[in-house]
Amino acid sequence: MVSTAVRPGARTGAGGKPVDHGVARRRKQTLIAWLFALPFVLVFGVFMLFPLVSSFLMSFTDFTSRDVATPLAVGFVGIDQYANLFNNPQFIKSMVNTGYFVIIGIPLTMIVALALAVALNSGIERFRTVFRVGFYTPVVTSIVAVAVVWRFILQQDGLLNNMLGWVGITGPDWLNSTTWAMPALILMAVWRNMGTLMIIFLAGLQTIPEDVKEAASIDGAGTWQRFIKITLPLLRPTLLLGAVLSSVGYLQFFEEPFVMTKGGPLDSTLSISFFTFNQFGFGKYGYASAASYVLFVAIALLSVVQFRALRSKD
Amino acid sequence: MTISEETPLKMKPESVAASPKMSRLAGFSRRRLITYVALVIAVAATLMPFVWMLLGSLKTDGEILRNPSGFLPADPTLANYATWFTDLNISRFFLNSLIVAVITVLGNLLFCSMIGYALAKMEFGGKRLLFLLVMLTLMVPGVVTFVPLFVLVSKLGLLNTYPALILPFLTSPLGVFLMRQFMMGIPDELIEAARIDGAGELRLFLRVVMPLCGPPLATLGILTFLGSWNNFLWPLVAAQSQKMYTLPVALSLYSTGQNATNYGLLLAGSVLVIAPIVLLFVLLQRFFIQSVATAGIK
Amino acid sequence: MFRKKSTYAVGLLAVALVLSACGRSTDTSSTGGATEPAGSISAGPATGALTMWAQGAEGEKLPALLKEFEAANPGVTVEVTAIPWEAAHNKYQTAIAGAQTPDIGQMGTTWMGDFTNGFDPTPSGFSDAGFFAGSVKSSEVKGTSYGVPWYVDTRVVFYRTDLAAQAGYSTFPTNYEDFKAMAKAMQTKAGATWGIQLLAGGADSFQSTLPFGWSAGAELMDGKNAWTLDTPAWVDSLRYYQSFFTDGIANPAPNTGAGAAESAFVDGSAPMMISGPYNIGNLAKAGGAGFADKYAVAPMPKDKTATSFVGGSNLVVFKDSPNRDAAWKLVQWLSQPDVQVKWYQATGDLPAVESAWKDPLLAGDTKLAVFGEQLKDTNSPPSVSTWTQVSAAADTQIEQVIKAGKDPAQALKELQASATSIGAGS
Repeated sequence: MVSTAVRPGARTGAGGKPVDHGVARRRKQTLIAWLFALPFVLVFGVFMLFPLVSSFLMSFTDFTSRDVATPLAVGFVGIDQYANLFNNPQFIKSMVNTGYFVIIGIPLTMIVALALAVALNSGIERFRTVFRVGFYTPVVTSIVAVAVVWRFILQQDGLLNNMLGWVGITGPDWLNSTTWAMPALILMAVWRNMGTLMIIFLAGLQTIPEDVKEAASIDGAGTWQRFIKITLPLLRPTLLLGAVLSSVGYLQFFEEPFVMTKGGPLDSTLSISFFTFNQFGFGKYGYASAASYVLFVAIALLSVVQFRALRSKD
Repeated sequence: MTISEETPLKMKPESVAASPKMSRLAGFSRRRLITYVALVIAVAATLMPFVWMLLGSLKTDGEILRNPSGFLPADPTLANYATWFTDLNISRFFLNSLIVAVITVLGNLLFCSMIGYALAKMEFGGKRLLFLLVMLTLMVPGVVTFVPLFVLVSKLGLLNTYPALILPFLTSPLGVFLMRQFMMGIPDELIEAARIDGAGELRLFLRVVMPLCGPPLATLGILTFLGSWNNFLWPLVAAQSQKMYTLPVALSLYSTGQNATNYGLLLAGSVLVIAPIVLLFVLLQRFFIQSVATAGIK
Repeated sequence: MFRKKSTYAVGLLAVALVLSACGRSTDTSSTGGATEPAGSISAGPATGALTMWAQGAEGEKLPALLKEFEAANPGVTVEVTAIPWEAAHNKYQTAIAGAQTPDIGQMGTTWMGDFTNGFDPTPSGFSDAGFFAGSVKSSEVKGTSYGVPWYVDTRVVFYRTDLAAQAGYSTFPTNYEDFKAMAKAMQTKAGATWGIQLLAGGADSFQSTLPFGWSAGAELMDGKNAWTLDTPAWVDSLRYYQSFFTDGIANPAPNTGAGAAESAFVDGSAPMMISGPYNIGNLAKAGGAGFADKYAVAPMPKDKTATSFVGGSNLVVFKDSPNRDAAWKLVQWLSQPDVQVKWYQATGDLPAVESAWKDPLLAGDTKLAVFGEQLKDTNSPPSVSTWTQVSAAADTQIEQVIKAGKDPAQALKELQASATSIGAGS
């Protein structure tokens, strides 16, 4: 659903330069600009803004699925539902789970992506494209289609445990274990998202001037030292960008539990998005909307913090 | 369904520079060998699920059930594919997916660049508010609009039509953001010069701006295509009859049962859903990966 | 869109995840759930256009069967839409919310409580007499019938006859003691790793313990819709279930992956299991040709009774149906014994109408006959909207009983407390 709702990117910069040629000219440009914006505004207004605003209003009412016909005849409950959410152990659990996923998932994805990017940037010329395409392929595939394979891979006698067996580890029944289901989904998320970050980091790495690194190596810095002291600091804006992009997506963690665990076992992979989805399913639209906006606030806050961090570097 | 966390984003408009020259000491070649080995292992692990899917699709359902972690098919068969093509009329679903995806892509390319141009290169009242709205929508969790959207589409009498599958996705805030960011990088002088020459805004947009926008258009086009092609939950509820089903919905319909899943069929179907998009990606990868850098966050 | 409010009403109130439910939910349920008096069906053939949703294989196979209905009722056309099982619940939910339901739908038996307010009550013309009693119960919500059973699915014991012979059993035991002894003998005498496969936790593990409780005379709810999960009968039955694990007869950490249960059964490492009719097909695929001769099925062992779980699907007519009369006629037609037998031939779905089982096609098949026999003694969970939530809470407790050795009495006491606070929904 809503495949478009994704990540924000940068700060909101001001647009082109104002040209002061009198009121008439400005009026004309406003008209033309709105004409350019019109198709988007129409579709956006009807199919995105309208549902959004109605769900926002719903979050302050006790709207349920049976009120669809008479949307105005619902009770106004103010912030009661928001308050209730924070007294609902299941919602709290979904927040903890989402936090777990974000806090472990993002750094892990970034580390893997960075490692791949560094490896690809280390003077490899042959098969570069093959590697790049290979690492990126998981990003383009449909999760509904790969879910079945992942279920096989993660089952108790599946491929992953077979491989772990080669090194003497007895793997758990990943998706049916309250302890291991989340790590399994994180693994899957890393697999699905590392390609994007790898490409971004690769581009970032290529902006680091060669002579800086060479100067360092002449100074006798080892590879690792050079990486820590030179590459990483220079890469900081790119890394932050990767963190911002990932966090919005990871906070909305939904698809993996949807196709793999339905939030189980025992709610151990229930995310805020999935909790919301369930509440919509139960017909509690008002309550579900409230939960969505809690998540929205979290995303917005995190984004603001990260944008600040990004900008301060400039 | 894609409450997507996957959509890749962009960054600096760096051209992907030629890899640094490695004309160093011979000692490096051992390190390079290690890098290669590591990369090969990593790429093999990454692609393993696809390989397994492909091999599994050549097995009978019985073989998969007998030996769930088996790798090579004992007796490869194309029967699962044959079922999709002969009994299950996959071409109809393929066509639906294609129609929806292509129109969605075209709509996004046109509409997002139009408003992107206005936001990037024009001054007008309400501009900041408009952009703020777009940015805010990017952060709203996708699930929140699902039910209101369904009610809306049903009230509009659109259920079970192509417009129901297409309209909600015909524009995207992400696309607006992407196009605006790129267009802001186009020198104002270029546009002012054309304006002074008396070019109308439409002409300017079509003749001057759009031809420069290849990279972000490619990115947006591919992202939109992916999102549309892989979407599951919306087409499921918006299509009220099988003839409107898209590929992922059909995949789910024919291969999973209440108690029993036909894994052979499911794997073959998965291959058929994924193959076109991987093919498209491989063909366009140079363009795509290089243009992932367009949004211009400096 | 001039429909009145009640037509939009949906019974999804469901799972009061939040006990502090938002304001109005209790009072709307009484108006929203208001049911018109059950009407009757007119005489004469059905006319008009009908739409019907059915899941997966049912949806695929149905159009061919319905040609006969259309032939018998020249004025009627039925359009069937097949919907995927895994997302069917979502689809019905959104459809009810948007008042975009078909005329007829197929409901998993445990979903009935979720959508009650969207259904038309079963008209009076329907005689329940022909259906298995356990199934009829699944179509009733708080005493009112909404829809009728379509096909059924019950659990019986699957066991390897070849290994049972080695273990010294030529007939299947009928009481609890012998049943367990046989599973043990499968290990000691027939070389099986585990005597029997039982769910050890996770989704549906509570469901798999239900037959033992019912057979001990326990009930999930009393007559006043209050949960009764910690009665001595439940405790005893859970203790019996637990003993399979503490005695090392059943694997406390079984592989739950796709095909794992079937392969353990086929390779003889766990040669007994409690499963449904669909597994006959799965075993044929997993075991290959000739495997059908190596195993048999038997009714559940007997405690006070030998009650099993009954599931399957019901047929419902939605309240919004503009052609209610014809819709019920179609439901009625699908419930005829001869049509039920044809449906079995097309899909393998077991008839919900008892008299259909007299057909030689079913009666002549030794394995199926066992299912037919078992169906006479079945039970199903109550159709309340909180069932999913209570059974999820129960799954946790079962898991602790089996994997952590928790005392069944204690576990059920805790379960009873949480179920009581969850309630029975609206």
